[in-house]
Amino acid sequence: MIVSWNWLAEYVDLKMSHDDLVDRLTMSGLNHESTEPVGSDRAIDLEVTSNRTDCLGHIGVAREISALFDIPLNIPEPLPQSKSDSIEKYCSVEITSPETCGRYVARLIKGVKIAPSPVWMQQRLQTLGIGIVNNVVDATNYVMFECGQPLHAFDFAKINGGKINVRNALADEEFRAIDHRTYQLDDGMCVIADALVPVALGGVMGGADSEVSDATTDVLIEAAYFDQLAIRIAARKLKLHSPSSFRFERDVDAANLDWASRRVCDLILQIAGGELLDGCIDVGQKPSKPEPVTLRLGQLERLLGIEIPTDFVAPTLYKLGLEIQSSNADSITAIPPSWRKDLTREVDLIEEVGRIYGFDKIPDNVNVPMAASYRPTADRVIDKVRRVLTAAGFDEAVTPSLVPKPWSDAFSPWTPSPPLISSQPMLGVLEEYSQNIGAVNLLRRSLVPSLMEVRRINEYRSNSDVNLFETAKVYLPVGESQIPDQPAKLAVISGRDFYAVKGAIETLFHHINPAVTLAIAECEHELLDNSQSAELRIGEQVLGWIGAASRSAKKLFGLRSDVTVAELDLALLEHCAVLTPRHVNQSSFPPVTRDFNFIVENGVRWAELESTVRSAAGPLLESVQYRETFRDETRDGPNRKRLLLSVVLRSADATLTGQQAEEVCNSIISQCASKHEASLVG
Amino acid sequence: MSAITMSIEDFVKQLDELAQSATVAFAAAQDPAQLDEARVEFLGAKNGQLKSVQKNMGAVPGPNRKEAGLKLNAVKNSIQTAFESAQARLLGDTGSEARDPTFDATLPGTHFHVGRLHPITQTINELKDIMGRLGFTPAEGPEIEDDYHNFEALNIPRAHPARDPLENFYLSVAQSQAEHDATFSENPLLLRSQTSTVQIRVMEKTQPPVRIVSLGRVYRPDTADWSHYPMFHQIEGLMVDEHVTLADLKTVLKLFASNYLGDAVPVRIRPSFFPFTEPSVEADYFWDGKWVEFGGAGIVDPNVLRSVGYDPEKVSGFAFGLGIERLCMIRHQITDIRYLFTNDVRFLHQF
Repeated sequence: MIVSWNWLAEYVDLKMSHDDLVDRLTMSGLNHESTEPVGSDRAIDLEVTSNRTDCLGHIGVAREISALFDIPLNIPEPLPQSKSDSIEKYCSVEITSPETCGRYVARLIKGVKIAPSPVWMQQRLQTLGIGIVNNVVDATNYVMFECGQPLHAFDFAKINGGKINVRNALADEEFRAIDHRTYQLDDGMCVIADALVPVALGGVMGGADSEVSDATTDVLIEAAYFDQLAIRIAARKLKLHSPSSFRFERDVDAANLDWASRRVCDLILQIAGGELLDGCIDVGQKPSKPEPVTLRLGQLERLLGIEIPTDFVAPTLYKLGLEIQSSNADSITAIPPSWRKDLTREVDLIEEVGRIYGFDKIPDNVNVPMAASYRPTADRVIDKVRRVLTAAGFDEAVTPSLVPKPWSDAFSPWTPSPPLISSQPMLGVLEEYSQNIGAVNLLRRSLVPSLMEVRRINEYRSNSDVNLFETAKVYLPVGESQIPDQPAKLAVISGRDFYAVKGAIETLFHHINPAVTLAIAECEHELLDNSQSAELRIGEQVLGWIGAASRSAKKLFGLRSDVTVAELDLALLEHCAVLTPRHVNQSSFPPVTRDFNFIVENGVRWAELESTVRSAAGPLLESVQYRETFRDETRDGPNRKRLLLSVVLRSADATLTGQQAEEVCNSIISQCASKHEASLVG
Repeated sequence: MSAITMSIEDFVKQLDELAQSATVAFAAAQDPAQLDEARVEFLGAKNGQLKSVQKNMGAVPGPNRKEAGLKLNAVKNSIQTAFESAQARLLGDTGSEARDPTFDATLPGTHFHVGRLHPITQTINELKDIMGRLGFTPAEGPEIEDDYHNFEALNIPRAHPARDPLENFYLSVAQSQAEHDATFSENPLLLRSQTSTVQIRVMEKTQPPVRIVSLGRVYRPDTADWSHYPMFHQIEGLMVDEHVTLADLKTVLKLFASNYLGDAVPVRIRPSFFPFTEPSVEADYFWDGKWVEFGGAGIVDPNVLRSVGYDPEKVSGFAFGLGIERLCMIRHQITDIRYLFTNDVRFLHQF
């Protein structure tokens, strides 16, 4: 809301400096944005919060100044002279849609002379950046910016039958507005119609046909109260936002209609002449008087944390327009003014007293009691995940939670259910390359597709070393009415091969809980390569998936080079985590290492052989390490491979003898031979 | 086994002679090459003289074997010492090795890449740390919320502009838009537009005192540009107890700002409006010669306390919410919010 310094000076004596004024206004709730000089005036831009519609007019701002600086507020009392001829002889008003229009006040002035408005009025409106039209229209604008109540002047000659019917628009009804454009209306929008057609879109914009022109002699002045939601919907649907709709959307003071109507009539009589017909038509509901509110003075300290002198309270409320009903040492009961619908409770009055007294007087060094806080397990586990992955050279990515359909369809390992759909797409989040892929309106069920896109962007920009991870929620529908599952997942993407990424995951697990072994199961996903992919499990529980991206996936995401991806369930990771490891005595005796080079069928899996080695080795086994796989058809025959492994043996009680080691080795060799037909090389 | 025996005296004599000639040979060496020759002759692992004398130890009668072993070790050490002192003599007085002129210490070291945490994560971690030190425990809540927790319980009435369908990501499980409209229910689901929802979920389950901080993603359908993104992050603090006041809020905000910015920073609060707090304030901190908006805050509205079953006559509390992107961008001088979500690794590697 832009206010004019000179205009404000009409209601309060501005003896303070400009800077002092805007500082106090900022610190009491009207944040000062800027001040621009306009001629001999100053345009002061103040931010008005949505609860303070009273400050969308100069009088409201002046009232704040009056309370802040303790100076009197002078509001004019308009008493326009009227002729004995009654308005009711010429005009009638009916509200047939009380849900969109609560009250309508009409006055009629005959014989006006349309001309430019006087310089003082033009200057004030120009300070606010409002366009100048003619004396009647400028007067309606002037009063709106004076008290916050929008007004409209009709050329009465254009009102068919002299009848005003406030009703809802008919379906597909058309309306030509002052901007000379035609709008398609729908029911739910409130129109001001005459006996035949709509002449204004209630609260939003007047009609072209009934607008005041140079030929106008008789004007009908409308001061009405429209429903805020109805106005907001209409203004938004038609993309017609005006200072009038802005005020109605935030709710105006229905009790002030008559004052505004008299005020504008008074001004028109002064600057455009004419005769005001006697009386007014006032239909609809008059607002009831607000309920009294009691403020217990002890509550001020309880919420604000400072003592406010008792004798400050009642005068402040009074200056803000409250009617003090009773006041004693402990409490004050007051009736809020009609223009302050935000004041209905004790706490609202506490805020009023506090903000006028000054929040700058509230200390910033009180003793807040100590309290212990703790770090949730999830946070501690995710910290470990981040530490290991960054140490492994992975950078962390953060990507949007909504994805377009092709990405959503590409990978959904956690659920077969379709994704949740958002009513609104995310706009402006796709790189140019991906902009034709579709609306970004599906809640992702996996993080992998988003990382594939990040990989593509980096590849496109010729970045090297693109190894990324993200931890975020995925959204899994569970049924119509319930809040969907939103488990957190960890996804990684890397240009390294399958085993490098698997190694990173294994290292992570070794860090989280060395006792856990990851089991491998087969899986089939279009996004993943048929061979180089696997489901990862802990016992019977699915931890996630790992795999090289399939050719079709690379094509879909526009990737040139090979990538490996994985996605893991963070809840399961958290479930297995050992955050306080226990010490185990480490043997002080030397280890014995033995290498084995087994020849086995190609179908023998490492995990099977390893498991046999482990059980054959018994309690002296410290570790089994895979070394390499080697194939030599000429020496070993077709369909065979060599698996080279090392076994480390150690005893907790003594140095192992050669014989002990020998026994273990023999057991390993014989069991591998019997279970896997493994033979030692050479 | 060999039947030849050797007396202990002969063995010792052999060793002494060996020690004598080795010491002479090492002392006579004129350059490292000559010394090395002598080393091979006496100390060589395969055919060195020490090695061959050592083999004779097996021929020393059993009872003298231990004495022979001790003598052998002593001689071995003395030959080694003689060699080392000859080596030191030839390589210079300091005893250090000769400089290798081909070694270039200015060549770059072998680098390894340490991954970086996303700047948003780094900011979140720091804010959590600071709030943790002030006694606030992190709390989590769902990103997909229902209308009740996102609006109703936060005292945001039906007619409030914040509830407009165009201002939110409302959700459905339906496939088509027509079904979508049909499934619009009394308590529709949406992506949360603020982390204040976590306040409600925590208070519903916990009795006061409550001191939590919640951080996470929030969503509003702004078109992405340099300063807007339809997804961003917020931090929300909540403290409820008997007699929590605006002075407590101001004190905590000041500690928070001073901690984050690393200096004693003036903080001011000025009146504002939020449906879920009363009084509501905007907090600013003074930085670089001007007041910078910090975020919104206030005393928890009694309607909110009542909606979670608290008695506003007995307890009171404050809440504040800050945008994390802004804090992160100001601190790191990031000029476009979209950089944060593009994840160009060159961008990420800066932090």
